[in-house]
Amino acid sequence: MKPGSGTRAVCAVLAALALTVTACSTKDDKKDDGGGANPSAPGSPGGKVKTGPGVTDTEIHIGELSDLSGPYAPLGKSVTNAEQLYFDQINAAGGICGRKVVMDVKDHGYDAQKARTAYTEISGKVVGISQMVGSAIVTQLQDDIERDGLLTLPQAWASTLLGKKVIQVTATTYDVEIINGFEYLARTAPLASGDKVGHIYTDDEFGANSALGVKYAAQAAGVSVVDQKIKPTDQDMTAAVTALKSAGVKAIIVSASPRQVGPVMVVTESAGFKVPVLSHSVGFHPQLLAVAAAPMEARLAITSPVPAISSTDLPAVAKLGSDYLAKFPGSSLDQGVMSGYAAAGIFGEDLKAACAAGDLTREGLVAAHRKQTGMDLGLGLKLDFSSNAKPPSYQTFILKVDKSKPGGLVTVEPAHEVPGAKSYTLPKTG
Amino acid sequence: MSDRLAALLRPAALGTLAGLVVLAALPFYLTDFWLLTGLFAMAAALGAIGLNLLSGTTGQLSLGHSFFLAVGAYGYIWFAGDDGRSGTHDVTGLGLPTPIALVAAVLLAGVMGGLFSPISGRLRGMYLGVATLALVFIGEHVMNNATTVTGGYNGRAAEPMTFFGFTLTDREPHLEVLGIEFGAYERLWYLALVLLVVGVVVARNLLRGRPGRALGAVRDSEIAAAVMGVPVARYRSAAFVVSSMYAGLAGVLLALVFGRVIPDYFGLALSIDYLAMIVIGGLGSVGGAVAGAAFVTVLPQLFAHYAGALPLVTATGTDGIGPQEASRYLYGAAIVLVLLFSPGGLAGLARRTAAPRRRAAGHGATSRPRTKEPQGADT
Amino acid sequence: MTKLSEIALNGLALGSVYALIALGFVVIFKASGVMNFAHASLLLLGGYVIARFHDELGFAGAVVVGVLATAAAAGVIEVLFIRGLGKVELHVLTILTIGVDILLTTELVRRIGSDKLSLGDPWGTDAAHIGDVYVAEARIAAIVVAVVLIGVFFIAFRFTSWGLSMRAASEDREAAALMGVRMKRVQLIAWCVAGGLAAVAAVFLTAAPTPGLDRTTGLVALKAFPAAVLGGMDSALGALIGSLLVGLTEALAAGYQSELDAFGGDVSSVAPYVVMILVLLVRPTGLLGSKELSRV
Repeated sequence: MKPGSGTRAVCAVLAALALTVTACSTKDDKKDDGGGANPSAPGSPGGKVKTGPGVTDTEIHIGELSDLSGPYAPLGKSVTNAEQLYFDQINAAGGICGRKVVMDVKDHGYDAQKARTAYTEISGKVVGISQMVGSAIVTQLQDDIERDGLLTLPQAWASTLLGKKVIQVTATTYDVEIINGFEYLARTAPLASGDKVGHIYTDDEFGANSALGVKYAAQAAGVSVVDQKIKPTDQDMTAAVTALKSAGVKAIIVSASPRQVGPVMVVTESAGFKVPVLSHSVGFHPQLLAVAAAPMEARLAITSPVPAISSTDLPAVAKLGSDYLAKFPGSSLDQGVMSGYAAAGIFGEDLKAACAAGDLTREGLVAAHRKQTGMDLGLGLKLDFSSNAKPPSYQTFILKVDKSKPGGLVTVEPAHEVPGAKSYTLPKTG
Repeated sequence: MSDRLAALLRPAALGTLAGLVVLAALPFYLTDFWLLTGLFAMAAALGAIGLNLLSGTTGQLSLGHSFFLAVGAYGYIWFAGDDGRSGTHDVTGLGLPTPIALVAAVLLAGVMGGLFSPISGRLRGMYLGVATLALVFIGEHVMNNATTVTGGYNGRAAEPMTFFGFTLTDREPHLEVLGIEFGAYERLWYLALVLLVVGVVVARNLLRGRPGRALGAVRDSEIAAAVMGVPVARYRSAAFVVSSMYAGLAGVLLALVFGRVIPDYFGLALSIDYLAMIVIGGLGSVGGAVAGAAFVTVLPQLFAHYAGALPLVTATGTDGIGPQEASRYLYGAAIVLVLLFSPGGLAGLARRTAAPRRRAAGHGATSRPRTKEPQGADT
Repeated sequence: MTKLSEIALNGLALGSVYALIALGFVVIFKASGVMNFAHASLLLLGGYVIARFHDELGFAGAVVVGVLATAAAAGVIEVLFIRGLGKVELHVLTILTIGVDILLTTELVRRIGSDKLSLGDPWGTDAAHIGDVYVAEARIAAIVVAVVLIGVFFIAFRFTSWGLSMRAASEDREAAALMGVRMKRVQLIAWCVAGGLAAVAAVFLTAAPTPGLDRTTGLVALKAFPAAVLGGMDSALGALIGSLLVGLTEALAAGYQSELDAFGGDVSSVAPYVVMILVLLVRPTGLLGSKELSRV
């Protein structure tokens, strides 16, 4: 090695370092990147509307953090499609505030690391997040979401997600939902004081939250609960059902995914243990009809924050069903379609309200959202978002299975809440 | 003195120096998205170096690496955290100063690795591999149920790292360097970089010295190693302890980067990712582990980011091969192809392309003896 | 008592399905010395093929096609990926099978999407009862089929030339090759047999009372890992015993979880691993596994 070459290289490195430091970066100031930060000029399509990140003169960008390749892909796919349908219709009708709504969809595959990078990627470029799949993903990101002030609608309904100014659970929480459902179960099973009811629930946020509701409702009714915890990945329900059978329960509540609700129906049928079963709307999927139609039609009731998609008395719902199938032929009309459409509807109404108030910034959107006290999306109930400590509604529908109907469900009882629901104390989160 | 200066001026050392300068300058150029990806890659690199010491150098297959990552992450959270409430659970914590909590968490991971030695010392090959698989499942169960430590399913926030009042967060104190706002990721970047450099240097010294040769001998033949006077059992469990400490350090770093840690993250898939890193990088090579970690971490992000510009890959949310799927294909194919065509991984590939050039340049004789460690995959 | 016998019987049924998978692990391990992580995707492949064809070919026809297709796929994996590598370290091969698994699973998951596919099995919700004990017919079929297949396997292993070659190969691969055992063929057949068994297992894992095949079905293969290991990786009988033990442990832990509350509720997915660790502490090569030979 020539003696000089090393020195020269050192000089080069030092020079590079100096350049690095002085020339400095092309990096945008992160707080403003993406989206036009300037208020629109008068005369632009939006008129004099205050805007911030995510909103330009022609477009409104909204984020969707979905799971399209992981365990919640069936839900994520339906929700994403339904939101796309909603905003396509909005855009076809001229958009919001004279702007086109653009969805920025990211797939996190229910992986915390991918979710965090995806969030970091879009958070500077959107005005809010109209879909976030996965309860654990939401809680993992909640501190950042609050810091960034992004109105966020999770596709998860645990009451532990309440209490945040910018995170909005879109419907009744699992615990309240099951309290309403429990009343139906007790009325129809029927359950008397002193009876036992079995509760099969997954060892996760969803199951734990639902278990709070079941315990409350059962205690009020004088019914004792036999718990069976399962893992979200379990598919074999034989042992759980056998245990409940030998405990002599009069009815079973299942707070789990369709992957477990289906087997519970089949196993109870096989075992000659034909008791009524209650589950959540997230526990049902039309594809279960292929394996367990008969027992489900006979014994399964669903407590749901949204009506069945087959509801003919609600024109908005009927239109959703036919529009969805027209846009995504061959897709199944599961409850993810309903909840996706509802979330998109909430977000769309908020954007309209923020536009009317002349403030399409993130803060403006959140403020407009919190002023909504009687939002009616045509789903047969009104939503009140004024308090972040409470779910937007205490009302749920009771659905039953009917395989001849689109989506496999029919509404048997319209939106209602039971007298005890409001006296239930939501879990305290810290 | 002049010898030392000469050593510093060697091309290899200069290359390293230049690399470090570039890494140190990156926060001035990268957006948060790439900074975050880089942070994950650096944390993964630390974890991968540890696994490589265990599986690459000593030949003990471990599928339980994610468990030790979790021990580090939750260990740090518990040591640094205070009593309080997280979600619906009451949580406890020791409230130690964060740098001490970091050290304590790394030691805790080492202790856990040591506690596993009755098993790791007795089992060989696949038996050990599947036994470590048990750690992942048992760990998952414990994390979900030990709510006072972990906060349960929803996880628990990690105390931000603080050095003498200077926190590695977006605030307190507000910091701008040369017109660039230094937020959490920029600050954490330098911590990660320092930890990574220390981790690489320690691992290299370990491998170049007596322990490295002994561990290699244990991998090649335990009996021969024992005959040569290597205390096999001790080295085997020592490798487990050191590897767990690296995982623990990676876990702490992950906790700091995530800000909040959820148990779901530390599943079997994560363990497999780490195995893939060391295989793609090259078994037994420290540099390879770092390269493999970068490959495995950055690849899916590249796909997610540039999905629109890639042929055959459709945008997220539409039919066809999405970016996540495309990166899975490439990930699987990378493992298979590397093992079939370059069993030495990226490190082996680099060595093969570098070797002729060095000879041609006539440096072969004067440059330092090649490191001892990257023999794993070649044998 | 009814509860115990019902849970035990169902646990055994589950165990016999695991046995079909674990036997596949053992056969491949004996022939190629590798733990096959691609088994999960082979299982998924078998189920997928059967689900696709049962409408056209009927259930039995679809099962035949599924078994053949999966056996062929396993054979292709052996020829393309495993054979060429020859003498490399054990975990290099193992990680290679992980790579293959990722490729195959990604493709299958992409095809299956969010669907739940029925395999068209004939059992439905029918149940047999022995006294007060109800057992789903599918589960009884699982036990019967597993017993028959494992019996056939044992006979083949004892009395056919392939079985002899396999036994020779697992004792000492090089010596066997020197003595004229055609190692390539022996290994290929072993992989095909394992693939076929995985397809059969897929039928019973997705038949009632489980709601059909979905993208996660392959993960069940993970449960056969502790089964194969605690029985002893190179013992077919060990795999059977290990599988039954795992099935029983799992069912009992789930069925009696109120008694196990101190351990945090549902321990059914953890219990098999705990049992495995305990066994391995006493017997480092499993219940019936042969001691690893040391070469110098």
